[in-house]
Amino acid sequence: MASRRKPNDSRLLVLGIAFAVAWAGIGYRLVRVQGFEAEDHAARGEQQRVRTEDLTAPRGTIYDRDGVELAVSIDAITVTVNPAELEDPVALARLLAPMVGEPRHVLRQRFTKPGSQFAYVARRLESAEAEQIRRFVRDSDIAGVYFSAEPKRVYPAGSLASQVVGFVRDDDMAGLEGIEWKYDEALAGVPGQQIVERDPYGNPIPQGEFIVDPAQPGADLILTIDREIEFAAQQILAQAVADTNATAGTVVVLDVDTGEVLAMASAPTFDPNNRTGADPSAYRNRAVTDVYEPGSTLKVVTVAAALEEDVVTPRTSIRVPAKLEIGDKNYTDVGRKKPRQMTVSEIVAQSSNVGTILIQDLLGNDQHYRYLAAFGLGAAASGDLPGEASGHLENVRNWCDTTCGPSTAIGYRVDVTPLQMASVFAAIANDGVWVEPHVVREVIRADGTRERFRPTERPVVSAATARVMRLMLQGVVESGTGTLAAIDSYTVGGKTGTTEKFVPGEGYSAEDRIASFIGIAPIDDPRIVVAVVLDAPHGELEDGSDLKFGGVSAAPVFAAVAEAALHRLGVPPDAR
Amino acid sequence: MTATAHQHDSFDLEQLIPVRRRRVRLRPWFVFAFVVIVAFFGLIFSRVSLDRSGFELDDLETQIAIEEARHWDLRVEVARLQDPNRITTLAVGNGLVYPEERIAIEVPGIESEGLDDDFRWAQLKAVLTAQP
Repeated sequence: MASRRKPNDSRLLVLGIAFAVAWAGIGYRLVRVQGFEAEDHAARGEQQRVRTEDLTAPRGTIYDRDGVELAVSIDAITVTVNPAELEDPVALARLLAPMVGEPRHVLRQRFTKPGSQFAYVARRLESAEAEQIRRFVRDSDIAGVYFSAEPKRVYPAGSLASQVVGFVRDDDMAGLEGIEWKYDEALAGVPGQQIVERDPYGNPIPQGEFIVDPAQPGADLILTIDREIEFAAQQILAQAVADTNATAGTVVVLDVDTGEVLAMASAPTFDPNNRTGADPSAYRNRAVTDVYEPGSTLKVVTVAAALEEDVVTPRTSIRVPAKLEIGDKNYTDVGRKKPRQMTVSEIVAQSSNVGTILIQDLLGNDQHYRYLAAFGLGAAASGDLPGEASGHLENVRNWCDTTCGPSTAIGYRVDVTPLQMASVFAAIANDGVWVEPHVVREVIRADGTRERFRPTERPVVSAATARVMRLMLQGVVESGTGTLAAIDSYTVGGKTGTTEKFVPGEGYSAEDRIASFIGIAPIDDPRIVVAVVLDAPHGELEDGSDLKFGGVSAAPVFAAVAEAALHRLGVPPDAR
Repeated sequence: MTATAHQHDSFDLEQLIPVRRRRVRLRPWFVFAFVVIVAFFGLIFSRVSLDRSGFELDDLETQIAIEEARHWDLRVEVARLQDPNRITTLAVGNGLVYPEERIAIEVPGIESEGLDDDFRWAQLKAVLTAQP
């Protein structure tokens, strides 16, 4: 007997079929997702979670000779907003504007830009400033404000040695000027990379993929610059440029034994922390980029060469005429109209052009050129300063028979930088041994290895010649053209220089002069050389002295800088 | 008859050799289930611990980064405080000026050879304390 089906059975059957179809659909999808499309989905998931991030290498720090930071990188905070998330962008702009020092309308414009999902509030704030905003945002429970870290280069000493240190580009921290540019590769380090899994909020997922190729931090640099001496040089130079109405000026202070640059100041200057509105010409490190004809300061080389070659002695007496006519040029001495019998010492002390030309004539062009080159003229003095000019020293084979030798003897036809001339005097101060001037004392790599700079040295003249030259330079300050360079407590020596300013394309200026003074202190036991160069000083002192002369405008700058430097170095007074 | 006898025989045999009743042994299953459960929870616990350690590590790294940033902020602050320009401005504001007349104190024997630093310092102190 056939069994009768109950009505519920057919419904159960339908339900069963429906479940079966549904499970089959799910199963099909499962197989598709987990089987056929597995790789694609895994890749998409990985793409969402796994991020490859660049790790910025911390830029090395630049220190002064005492280990105080001159340039340092810090993690600054950048504040951004997502305008789409802001409840009241206008009110937020009003509240944040005073905190970040931006005009209210500028922030309002950024926050209300249609369709925008990103706007800067402030970039590279220091942590204290950022903390103030963070606290305000947290306390006010404002959504849509974000904080992220960005590296920032800070120059704690501001304009101190700014032309030497230079600066970096804000966006990528690439060195643009000064040591920052010259040593960019060493300072920058090597960027790293990390592969990390992050959740949708950007937090790293524990146990997730985490592969790190760490960044190699940049090397630190220790400079030879002494902050105290640099500060004194900058202050005194700035005052001198203002007082003498000069367009610019330079001071270089060298340690005579080591060739270390203790100070290198240029005026005008700038603050690398805030370059807005700064004149780009202020970025120039004039001590190495600007060339000039050294004038009478180069007589030191002429006379030292003649002494070394036994052509003359300090007491050799020479009849010096009132003027010399050579070729199409007349050579005369300032303030002397009559012929005079002068010793070599007097020729140096009185800075006689005619007397020096006569000494050069006895020496000869070839010998003269040999000493000029040996003292480092015509080649960059230092290897570690960017934009350093090598100057110009015409090869002796190309010298004319008439005015070339005489003009070179008194410091024309030769282009030099203030640093080159400072190193010439440093050689005289260092018993005739020329030492390569330098600014970077040591490079400290990230692994701790230290590379100390070893300057090249070469004897140029004998110690005896150098000593005699120092006595002659002392005479310049005691009774010659450089009396304003005298310091109360120390015996010093030096040489004045005044040259007509050569303007490219126009020739020699009728009005403008380059006034300079380069000196050694103390003269008996030299520690420093100070070179001062003023560009186009104008005016007169109260006694009527013309400021265009190096002995009037530059010599007092030497005295002030040298005294400050000697005090700083703890050199006991030697003058009685 | 024979068949019956056979049947009888086999019956007897079953009577004589009692069939061993199979007993289901549950203890291994319980042990297995226990081990699986313990392993399951152990795995979850270790995973949670690892995750927690991961978060703690992440927090520590963040803290290190914050402290490092603070360290550099403070160093920058110290360098700024040491700025000669700032110190000079403060000094001038407090009425400090360079003396118009410089006085050099000469200490007898201070530069002579053979005297140690302590002796020279004692001499210098004696001179300095004797100043009016």
